[in-house]
Amino acid sequence: MTRLTALLGIILLALGQATVLFAQAPQSGGTLQQEGFTPIDQLPPQDQLPAAPLLISAYVFVVAVLFVYLFSVARRLASVQQQVSRLEGDIKRGKRA
Amino acid sequence: MAKWFYPVAGLCALMFALSPFVIASAPYESTMGLVQKIFYYHMPAAWLFLIAAVVCGVASVRFLISGAPRQDRVAWAAAELTCLFGLIALVTGPLWARKAWGVWWQWDVRLTASLMGWLVSCAYLLLRRYGGPGSDKLAAGLALFGAANVPFIYISVNYWRTIHPATSVVPTLPFSMGGPLWFCVTAFVLLFVLLMSLRIRLEEQRARLDDLYLSLDE
Repeated sequence: MTRLTALLGIILLALGQATVLFAQAPQSGGTLQQEGFTPIDQLPPQDQLPAAPLLISAYVFVVAVLFVYLFSVARRLASVQQQVSRLEGDIKRGKRA
Repeated sequence: MAKWFYPVAGLCALMFALSPFVIASAPYESTMGLVQKIFYYHMPAAWLFLIAAVVCGVASVRFLISGAPRQDRVAWAAAELTCLFGLIALVTGPLWARKAWGVWWQWDVRLTASLMGWLVSCAYLLLRRYGGPGSDKLAAGLALFGAANVPFIYISVNYWRTIHPATSVVPTLPFSMGGPLWFCVTAFVLLFVLLMSLRIRLEEQRARLDDLYLSLDE
């Protein structure tokens, strides 16, 4: 009985080790596909995205955002400068009066 | 405006006008092809996002120590540019990633920390806009967190597992790709200096307006 238990223990231990070894990813010699990575140029045509729309979208977005921001700062600056000039004029007129 | 402003603005506009031709002259990257050319605007914007966050943090520290209004103006201007360049980096990156990685977004350390940095800059601006009196010091404290996040964003790709390229890519670029990149970096840096100058002037004018209203009340 003791021998049988020991034998079963050894078999289970061996199976456990084998499972662990089997579950491990290959350390070397594994292909890119085995690691879950497929080079983009090896994808089937239906899975490939055209690059041009993404590239154009990126550049249009950058230019548009920069223009909008520049316009926003220029507008705010012009408005504040106009108020400053108006108030300075009011103060000068007030002093004269 | 300062004397240097208009010549620098002209040079910057010329460089941006020439940049598509310079970028088109760069060779295609071997694995990503055409979409990799987003890099020439994405990377300078990402760098300026980090630089602006550092400028905002340093100016905020100086403001908290000295209470100098000029430092507060610099911090506010830099926070707005952090938000602007962060937005550019966070939009152009996913457009590139969709083709190169097959996904729009990946919750890895670089991308998540960048998003957090950008959200901190948005929080700074919202605090300044709607925080009321005393929000300048609260926002300065917030800017410290934004600046502290910068080294973490920069080195994250070297220490954590990520699909984002590491920081070692740029120094190893051949001249045919490095030349256009540094051309675009120069154009973006000039733009950054110009926008900082404009934005600081706006804050100076607002401060002058407040002084004028106060003198009218007196």
